[in-house]
Amino acid sequence: MTVAVPSALLADLLSAPRPAEWEALRLAAEARLAGRELPTPRDKGWQFTDLAPLSHTSFAPAPEATADISADLLPEMVGTRQVFVNGRYAPHASCVSALPPGLRFLPLTLASEACHCLGTLAPETARSPFEDLNTARFEDGALILVPKNLRATLPLHLLFVTRAEHPCAVFPRVLIRLEAGAELSLVEEHMGHGPYLTCPVVEIQVGEGAILRHERVQRDHATAIHLATLRATVAQGGQYHSRTLTFGARLSRQEPSVRLAEGAEATLDGLALLGDGQLADTHSFLHHAAPHGTSHQLHTCVVDGQARAVFNGQIRVAPGAQGTDAQQKSRNLLLSGTARVDTEPQLEIYADDVKCTHGAAVGQLDPDEIFYLQSRGLDLEAARNLLTYGFAADLLERIPVASLRRALRRLVLARTHASALGDLA
Amino acid sequence: MLSIKNLTASINGTPVLKGIDLEIKAGEIHAIMGPNGSGKSTLGKVLVGHPSYEVTGGEVLFEGKNLFDLEPDVRARAGLFMGFQHPIEVPGVSNAAFLRLAYNKKAEAEGRDELDPLEFDDFIREKIKLVSMKEAFLDRSLNEGFSGGEKKRNEILQMAVLEPKLAILDELDSGLDIDALRVLGDAVNKLMRPDHALLVITHFPRILETIRPQFVHVLSGGRILKQGGPGLAIELEERGYDWVVEEAATGGHR
Ligand SMILES: Nc1ncnc2c1ncn2[C@@H]1O[C@H](COP(=O)(O)OP(=O)(O)O)[C@@H](O)[C@H]1O
Ligand SMILES: [Mg+2]
Repeated sequence: MTVAVPSALLADLLSAPRPAEWEALRLAAEARLAGRELPTPRDKGWQFTDLAPLSHTSFAPAPEATADISADLLPEMVGTRQVFVNGRYAPHASCVSALPPGLRFLPLTLASEACHCLGTLAPETARSPFEDLNTARFEDGALILVPKNLRATLPLHLLFVTRAEHPCAVFPRVLIRLEAGAELSLVEEHMGHGPYLTCPVVEIQVGEGAILRHERVQRDHATAIHLATLRATVAQGGQYHSRTLTFGARLSRQEPSVRLAEGAEATLDGLALLGDGQLADTHSFLHHAAPHGTSHQLHTCVVDGQARAVFNGQIRVAPGAQGTDAQQKSRNLLLSGTARVDTEPQLEIYADDVKCTHGAAVGQLDPDEIFYLQSRGLDLEAARNLLTYGFAADLLERIPVASLRRALRRLVLARTHASALGDLA
Repeated sequence: MLSIKNLTASINGTPVLKGIDLEIKAGEIHAIMGPNGSGKSTLGKVLVGHPSYEVTGGEVLFEGKNLFDLEPDVRARAGLFMGFQHPIEVPGVSNAAFLRLAYNKKAEAEGRDELDPLEFDDFIREKIKLVSMKEAFLDRSLNEGFSGGEKKRNEILQMAVLEPKLAILDELDSGLDIDALRVLGDAVNKLMRPDHALLVITHFPRILETIRPQFVHVLSGGRILKQGGPGLAIELEERGYDWVVEEAATGGHR
């Protein structure tokens, strides 16, 4: 079967052979892609994020590769980790010896149950072409199934490493299902080296009363492009708490969407630490579909150099979703005259008995705070760096995995030039 | 130690200090008292270099050096300290890490050994006892969500860590109950040494029952209208400030 040519880039990426499994799903995705173009700044939701850099590069399918991840292991998760290198499961780098009985944590290609779940766990929202691209071409990914009432005490670690000599593309795929009353903590990390494009898609289903804590760390290479989609549904009384930490990639976009059933709870926090010419865009969608849901969203950006941060936080409260409590806050620190932030809330409230608050602040370091630290003997540079670190690190303190918290503190210290201040943790 | 000569300063173009003269020597405790809005906090903040205030005239020598040649952080490392009336909150910056950083910056400036986190832990444990602060406050963000009194406690903890030569304490008693005031007053007294000095700024004489000044200055309308010994504080407690202002207006000043 041939595919109508959507755009040079999409055609490029689809020129790779279609992986063997899930053919029906892939064909459907290819059909949706037929005739599509990449979004341009004229399209709604893309006015600040120009994908032109993509169309100048020809991305090949990622070749097989190996990676040494010994430095990236986190002690709590040495026995609960899965590693994917260039989109393929890396059995020698993975270890799942410490999984609790009953918890399924498998590569998709080894998981028979995956075929029932793919593309079905979370409802469709407006699909970006990158989600369909992922469906059409993903090689492998992870399946996580937590059975009813199982409370996993150890967190799981999901590591996606990409190594590219030449521009290449990978399509990580993750399916997560927590049955009623289950509980899980997951760390999803993306890293690598070279000029790659990664388009991860994560589908999540949180069952009744279940709780998923999801830390998402994007520390891709400085020449990489990261275009991620996440879709989650949270059943009655369930909770989905996520924190997306953006450090890497020259161009990145996060499109999380979460749908809340009655009494469900969601946290959708984000931190982006940007410098040089980086651009990081978050377009989130929180859908309160039923009464008495709660959502919290704190999006923090620290932007230096000529970097640019984009945030659009869409919150929809459906008709009848009474008693909804939705709080959104966007806080942004500009460290240079050429850094830029575009932030906007997008509230669509169709119920009357709701509590929705939102606020956005864009600014520089507070001179009173700088002075306070100087008055205790910190020089101007140290004071500025400490405050910048503090602005960013605020969000790290709530990370439940201690070793990850420490590793990210060090990363933030280095990125805010606060390393010279010593161990602040 | 500190010598202020005909100091004038303004904020947003409005003159607030209109010619202050003050001499403080090692071993002395001075109190600046006066009605609200008289310029007491301004004087303190000008001395430690708050950027909102403009020094428009006069001279201040601290240990023989022209204070206004020094950046605020250099003044701090040289031994000048101000406990603020309204300490600000700094989210995300751990109190313990901040205190250690401040300590080490000063140690470095004085050529003393810096303390690593473990050594500092022992050091700070002793210091928090002095101000009866709970350890949990060390792990919290600097002043974030602290009550008024807890912030004041933290200011004195910072003073205990830095051991300044000259500490300016602005309205230490605001936000404190009687017991806390006594604890912090005692802590300040313990930190006082013959080669140190204190400048206590207060609207209410109450704090001066614990921290006992040898010299009391009454500031009003940006000028020192009256100076005296400890007895003056008692007189102000009984009679208020109006009589000082009237006396000055009728020429009884000095
Ligand atoms: N930021 C400011 N902008 C304008 N005026 C100010 C500011 N801060 C203080 N002032 C004025 O300066 C005067 C002295 O204030 P302050 O030094 O705080 O007095 P005190 O501490 O004696 O109560 C007051 O009249 C006050 O209104
Ligand atoms: Mg005052």
